[in-house]
Amino acid sequence: MSFQAKVRSQDGVVTFRLAGELDSRSAPRFHEMITQAVVPAARKLVLQMDELSYMSSAGLRCLVYAHQRAGNGVDIELVGTQPEVAETIRLTGFDRSLIMRAHR
Amino acid sequence: MTSATALLVAEPAACTDELDRALRDDGFEVSHADIDGVESQAADLVLVSASFGLHRIALLSQRLAGPEDSPTVVVFPGEDLEELQACVRGGFDYVVPPFLPALLRTRLTSCRERGRLTRAVEEMAAVASLREYERDLSIAREIQSGFLPDELPCPPGWELAARFRPAKQVAGDFYDGFDLADGRRLGLVVADVCDKGIGAALFMALIRTLVRHTAQHTGTGDPACDIGVEPLRQAVCGTNRYLARNHLRQGYFATLFFGVLDPDTGMLFYINGGHNPPVLARAAGGRFLLEPTGPAVGMMPDSEFAIGQTRLLPGDQLFVYTDGVVEARDNGGGQFGTERMLDLIGRPASCADVLLDRVDERLRRHVGSAEQSDDITMLALRRQVRGRPTGRREAQG
Repeated sequence: MSFQAKVRSQDGVVTFRLAGELDSRSAPRFHEMITQAVVPAARKLVLQMDELSYMSSAGLRCLVYAHQRAGNGVDIELVGTQPEVAETIRLTGFDRSLIMRAHR
Repeated sequence: MTSATALLVAEPAACTDELDRALRDDGFEVSHADIDGVESQAADLVLVSASFGLHRIALLSQRLAGPEDSPTVVVFPGEDLEELQACVRGGFDYVVPPFLPALLRTRLTSCRERGRLTRAVEEMAAVASLREYERDLSIAREIQSGFLPDELPCPPGWELAARFRPAKQVAGDFYDGFDLADGRRLGLVVADVCDKGIGAALFMALIRTLVRHTAQHTGTGDPACDIGVEPLRQAVCGTNRYLARNHLRQGYFATLFFGVLDPDTGMLFYINGGHNPPVLARAAGGRFLLEPTGPAVGMMPDSEFAIGQTRLLPGDQLFVYTDGVVEARDNGGGQFGTERMLDLIGRPASCADVLLDRVDERLRRHVGSAEQSDDITMLALRRQVRGRPTGRREAQG
């Protein structure tokens, strides 16, 4: 399934809703969305992951980029991450820089 | 100009009788249309009234341009000659009254030839720039191949083999094998730089260099520790520090397995930096996964890496791979999967090359005609059973 992403900002909380497959083909689009949406006023990022079925290392690179762009002290919360995607994140150790939640 | 077709595009009210007559006299099959009613493949020659303005005419011309053959678009004056001038300045060819057949024929022939020439030049320029890009890429591939070992070292009693198949011209994966501590230890590395293409390839070259150089230029350190441990630790921690300090903003990181083997005892010290766990298949049965001992390299500045250790006994084999193996997709998008890979590795193999060929063959069959989506790298280390050398090297040597 092709990648889809929506973004919404409210009171400093930037929420991304991701669906489909985030790989090297779709990653540049998500990267651009992060650049646009993650501004200095952002104090928390929430990623709705439940409809994301696959994430390659290019997709993970986007999360690392979001983390750097948001800066220290800005929480990144991943909600409803599917087991295989969670495993990709866990394997690289990046889960330590994120908050993983089953539900909102 | 046998059975050539001409389309006259003008405002419905405009009088184009003279032009129409001249074209017919010249053997054209003539039809008429308003500018919005023109379909692609409309005619060999499209004559447009300048009264539509440059912008609309340019859009029409764009719409008519096909991948193979585009009609020649020529403007003729409406009531305002200024409009015609604007079109001519915009690069369009033109005809002006009086529309006498002989004059018109000469003008149209030259318009058509000029149009063909312009298109030919544009196509040549596009092909030339593509060739230049392809040449650059093949140079990049060649340079990158210099960052992979020409051949892998192979201490007596051991087999070390690798397979490397990039998805594109250049890869983010790499593998390496080199002597450490004056040949008393063997270093082996498999790494996967995130993402792919040229960016990943540049970081591959950097990371490979940092890891190998640091490992080979670090002293053996504390005599109480194994002589391979300090080079291992320094190589991974140093590379992580360097990347985090100098390249964090670019957001590239690598998952990496670095093992240091003592060929005499079979002891293997390793760091797994966020990499797919290598599989240790025991000759006596059973598989063990060498799970991560730290995060991916270059991802965070303050990462810590623990040292793992295991021992290869005669007949044991270690299979190190990148995610391109388990995530290889068939035509329907189905992944090769960890289970299938583990099953292939678990079966006995006469030597490291046989094991890799087995996995590679099954992978190719799985992918079939689908496009290879990621770099595929595999490395196998096997300790031979003493007194019964069965490897290919022995057979040949």
